[in-house]
Amino acid sequence: MPLPSTTTTSYGEFNSSSSIRTPSFSRSESALSDAISIDIQDDTTSSFTPLLHHHQPHQHFNNMAGQNHKYSVLLPTYNERENLPVIIWLLAKTFQENNIDYEIIVIDDNSPDGTLEVAKQLQKIYGESRILLRPRAGKLGLGTAYVHGIQHATGDFIFIMDADMSHHPKFMPEMIQLQQSKNLDIVTGTRYAGNGGVYGWDLKRKVISRGANFLASVLLRPGVSDLTGSFRLYKKEVLSQLIASCISKGYVFQMEMMVRARQFNYSIGEVPITFVDRVFGDSKMGAMEIVSYAQGLFKLFVAV
Amino acid sequence: MTRATQAATFFGITATIYLALLFQWLPITLPKTVQDFTLPVLPWWALVSFGAYSLGNIGYHVLTFRDCPEAYNELQVQISQAQSDLRSKGVSI
Repeated sequence: MPLPSTTTTSYGEFNSSSSIRTPSFSRSESALSDAISIDIQDDTTSSFTPLLHHHQPHQHFNNMAGQNHKYSVLLPTYNERENLPVIIWLLAKTFQENNIDYEIIVIDDNSPDGTLEVAKQLQKIYGESRILLRPRAGKLGLGTAYVHGIQHATGDFIFIMDADMSHHPKFMPEMIQLQQSKNLDIVTGTRYAGNGGVYGWDLKRKVISRGANFLASVLLRPGVSDLTGSFRLYKKEVLSQLIASCISKGYVFQMEMMVRARQFNYSIGEVPITFVDRVFGDSKMGAMEIVSYAQGLFKLFVAV
Repeated sequence: MTRATQAATFFGITATIYLALLFQWLPITLPKTVQDFTLPVLPWWALVSFGAYSLGNIGYHVLTFRDCPEAYNELQVQISQAQSDLRSKGVSI
């Protein structure tokens, strides 16, 4: 399936979305940093828990800091020269401020705009243990980009997101916290619930988005509100298994991941996110995208 | 069972029951008004109801769609911070 944006393409979500609200983040973030600062001290005295130990539900954000988990962020890029430095800066800032162990895996599909050159400069700043460059020879698709990235990932959790800044790293601590509190297999960002929201869409876009999502929810009954979103946190082995069982491409791929997850009885949580339509570069959605979306949806309806 | 199979099963069973009632294949006597007036239009009523529900659902969610200008503004500020910080560290952006 063709990718949503034609000129400066990122592997996007179906840029049709719907109603979302603002994040009430000022409050929760301050609560978060309070909890963290307390916890760092707590954890200096506590012993190490094994890597695969899953935490029991907590009432606080208390194992955000000092935890033993490592988070690998997969960033498939194609012509993201302008976006990549900023998104990596934001990621590093978020992870450092929350004391989260991380690595960023940049999977560049031989972008003609020199994305890889910029990525190399960033690697010099942040270090080779934080930024891993795993380029590929050409545009080979989103599913294989994730497979490629996972092979090199050393974290036990994987974040997938768009590199075009439509997904903001500030939501990651909350996604991690939700994952840990319920030991979830998947946490997905949703633009359609709670304080979620979208910026930069006109009425037509909103109608298409809501219509597409309604159609998908009626046909597939997936149990999650944002099927086509692509800002998600997975347990590494869960992501591997889902990718291995998925057959679709493009944003239908993101839908299929959720539908298959339900099929395998994985637990899924949702965190409201704001989605700011790409700042640099074009984001196009034409009739072709709608047609291929409908085709992909129908295939899933029949297959899963 | 795929979603398509589930849907086909549901519609198959519903249609069978409906047709059996409509053509009086079963030894059940429905009130005359139901038999003569309600049953013939029931599928259309269901179709229109579903359409109305769909439009209502989509319309409601489009109307309550919240733009998030504050997220955009925050991002703009952070983009310029990031760019100046990274430029000072020698990244060519």
